[in-house]
Amino acid sequence: MTTLVTTSSLRGGYGPRSDAISEIDLHVDAGQIVAVLGPNGGGKTSFFRALLGELPHWAGAVEIKGRVAYVPQTERARLDFPVSALDVAAMGTYADTPWYRRLPLASRRRAHEALEMVGLEAEAGSLFGEMSGGQRQRVLIARALAREARVLLLDEPLGGLDRASASRVGRVLADLKETGRAILVATHDINDAHEADRVLCINRRQIAFGPPTVLDSETLERTYGGELITLPGGGQAVVVQHHHH
Amino acid sequence: MPWPIDPFSLPFMQRAALEIVILAPLAGVIGAQIVLRHLAFYTHAVGTATFPGLVIAGPAGIPPALAALAVGGTYAAGLERLGRVRGLGRDVATALLLVAALAIGIVLASDVFDSGSGVERLLFGSLLAIGDDELYATLVASLAVLAAAAACRRTWIATGFDPQVAPALGLPSRMADRLLVAAVAVAVIAAVDAVGALLVSAILVMPAATARLLTRSVVGLELAAIGLALAEGIGGLLLAFELDVPPGAAIAVLGGVVFALVTTATALSGRAAESAA
Repeated sequence: MTTLVTTSSLRGGYGPRSDAISEIDLHVDAGQIVAVLGPNGGGKTSFFRALLGELPHWAGAVEIKGRVAYVPQTERARLDFPVSALDVAAMGTYADTPWYRRLPLASRRRAHEALEMVGLEAEAGSLFGEMSGGQRQRVLIARALAREARVLLLDEPLGGLDRASASRVGRVLADLKETGRAILVATHDINDAHEADRVLCINRRQIAFGPPTVLDSETLERTYGGELITLPGGGQAVVVQHHHH
Repeated sequence: MPWPIDPFSLPFMQRAALEIVILAPLAGVIGAQIVLRHLAFYTHAVGTATFPGLVIAGPAGIPPALAALAVGGTYAAGLERLGRVRGLGRDVATALLLVAALAIGIVLASDVFDSGSGVERLLFGSLLAIGDDELYATLVASLAVLAAAAACRRTWIATGFDPQVAPALGLPSRMADRLLVAAVAVAVIAAVDAVGALLVSAILVMPAATARLLTRSVVGLELAAIGLALAEGIGGLLLAFELDVPPGAAIAVLGGVVFALVTTATALSGRAAESAA
């Protein structure tokens, strides 16, 4: 199995002496889904930015084979922007065409194929802002696919989606895993993490990395600290999010 | 010749119409970005900030466009620095610098150079007195801005839609954003001769803002804004000629009326669609 992402002693942050993440050691193979678990402010986004090469200060080693693409939460995009699903998917191809050339037919074809992969070919002409939350999330995944990325970084892709939409996005991710891509998914949902091939627990430093069996109560306690509540009677652990206003 | 063709047999009306024809593509392409990227206040502020430069230009013997470019460029650079001050915010920085530029312009005009009636022309434009030099200057500025827009179009759209992700898509969004701010400043300076420092929004914002209500794509927005800028510009020119009012103000009033009518019509059609559903 080809390893697509390897990090070794990865650390870094937004200032020279203020690490947002440290001691991150992992390797992700083609066809694996990795759940990245951690509290708000625990370094999930910083870790993704490090993989994208956007973290201002970092040290250690990062090796990535192929292109990386980031899929944000759908709320971050401008819903009032007059662009169609096809326009958004095509944005993934923009960097491949010099500014002085029209977008070639091959790029448009790639955008159509990406929409087809997420089951939205029939909605290519729909306005992005008028689509449902689940459809918008799939369009943003299509944009990453049109970029021909082998490594996908998804920031809480199921957040705010109803059960049916979340299930549809989950199926898309399962299909993409079959195509040999490496998929890293930031999530708060411990149940979703149990479905992944690997789990990275992070709270400013790596707490654990391995198969979902690493998710024992001690690891979760160390990852979430006071944000974790264990339900009585052997129930599932629940993460309580503290929102700062 | 029948009305409304007849007034355009006069050379000064022909030059004014040509100025509008040159500005219309600029109003469509850059106006669309101004509306989509929420740069309308910045656009108005850069226009007003050119005022002290225009006041100095005459007595100092500097071409007005060059003086406006220098002051507008200084304003944009100052805004870039002040906008980064923590806790201040870009809109506050824009307002502070706008007031400073306007105040300096008024002091220079009234107490230093005694510009008198010339101030009105600087603030509200002189479309009917456009000369060949101004036409050439507008043409050069328009071509430069349109070239920048062609180069950055895809990056501007991707960055406007999703500013956080655009760099991860391999797009030079930071550089393109700086170029957009500069392009808006140059577009403003190109429009100042026609509609004056205070009314540049009549050409660069109003047509695109109206077109935004009627269109569902960026290309549609650009084309509709070009058409509206042309129609409102020529219509305002005719109004100014017939009613003997300043053309910049006539264009602004016409643009405002068209915007109000379109806003009302779209609101009514939206309500009708809701009742039918």
